[in-house]
Amino acid sequence: MPFDIALITRIVPALAEGLTLTLTLSALAIVLAAAWAIPVVLGLMSRFRPLSILTRGYIEAVRNTPVLVQMYFIFFGSAMAGFRLSGFTAGLIALVLQNGAYIAEIYRAGIQSVSRRQMEAGLAIGLTPGAAFRIVVLPQALRKVIPPLGNQGIVIIKDTALVATLSVAELTFQARMLADRTAAVYEIFFALALFYIAITSIFSALMRLVEWRMRVVQ
Amino acid sequence: MFDILIASFPLLMRGVWITLLLTGSGAIVATIFGVVIACAQLFGGIVLRIAAEAYLYIVRGVPLLVLLFAMYYALPYAGVDLDPMSGGALVIGLYFAAFMAEVFRGAILAVPNGQWEAGRTIGLRTPRIVTDIILPQALRVAGPPYINTVIMLVKGTSLVSIIGLADVTFVGRQIVERTLAPFEVFGGVAVIYFVICFALSRCGAYLERRTSYVH
Repeated sequence: MPFDIALITRIVPALAEGLTLTLTLSALAIVLAAAWAIPVVLGLMSRFRPLSILTRGYIEAVRNTPVLVQMYFIFFGSAMAGFRLSGFTAGLIALVLQNGAYIAEIYRAGIQSVSRRQMEAGLAIGLTPGAAFRIVVLPQALRKVIPPLGNQGIVIIKDTALVATLSVAELTFQARMLADRTAAVYEIFFALALFYIAITSIFSALMRLVEWRMRVVQ
Repeated sequence: MFDILIASFPLLMRGVWITLLLTGSGAIVATIFGVVIACAQLFGGIVLRIAAEAYLYIVRGVPLLVLLFAMYYALPYAGVDLDPMSGGALVIGLYFAAFMAEVFRGAILAVPNGQWEAGRTIGLRTPRIVTDIILPQALRVAGPPYINTVIMLVKGTSLVSIIGLADVTFVGRQIVERTLAPFEVFGGVAVIYFVICFALSRCGAYLERRTSYVH
């Protein structure tokens, strides 16, 4: 079966129907995971032992199990428990829980990479601990955090493909429907791969722009 | 609540076997191909370097599930008769090879340049510098991130359930369809993955302790 480049022009519009869902899910998952990671890292670095142990347990639990199994657990589990979540919501929750744990570790590494003396210097010039953290430590930590955060964003974008198994009509789902109906499989998956490469490339270009604006030194 | 898990234990174990088999064969493919890509990046000529970069760019941008689907749908059309198990292991291996390449490249670059120069100064040839000086030091650095990548690979094997391979996730879904007990079954499946991955990460921690220099 020869590769027909002309078919691509007909496949792309069909796939594009799933693009909005993929982009919405990716954006929501990235923003919510980055936000959810803030309470997680606070719990992780808390001096109150039970809380830090509990947070560590959560992180180990989600990091050592596949996000797909988590999606099934939430999707089929919610239906069983009587409040059926949509595939989109179940997928989103699983992506946020999984990636929030990874991002919390990124935040922790960023905060710990700032020398202790910076905090001490802030306290020495009379700042309160909260202010010293906010004005002195946080801006330096944020710069360290941006590059790995961008990588995690790409992981999230790629993992949104998994909600296709929960019948969410995003890019991969559309491609599969098309592949089941037609015989143009080479063209379909070629076009699908191009879509994902385009999305991740644009995302990493945006992240590089942010790095440049924040003067991240690498 | 555990009676479902106990009743379906033999089925789940058959799934675990498939998962472990895919993990093992996938990790072998990923390691070999990862070394090849890292070498192409570090020591290759311009053509090899561009080829390696292009490969990494594609794999970094495309979801593993899409590659698995592409294999599943396209290979029969291409007339290639590959059984799903080998196909799955191959795709998983080639996908995670990109991450392995990062690990090996980083490890080799972590060895200071002076080590190469020192080797040359005492008159060693490049292959011997690599095998006797660079690799022993690089492998120490590579241990922990290597284990991390294998853990990602274990989690990645769960995707083969979507293309119909009877791994532990697939078996879990089947049991749920019959028993309607998603919490127990997927909870049990998650525990199985946890045991595999956590054991691996303990190995990683042990490696890190054993091979780190005394500072």
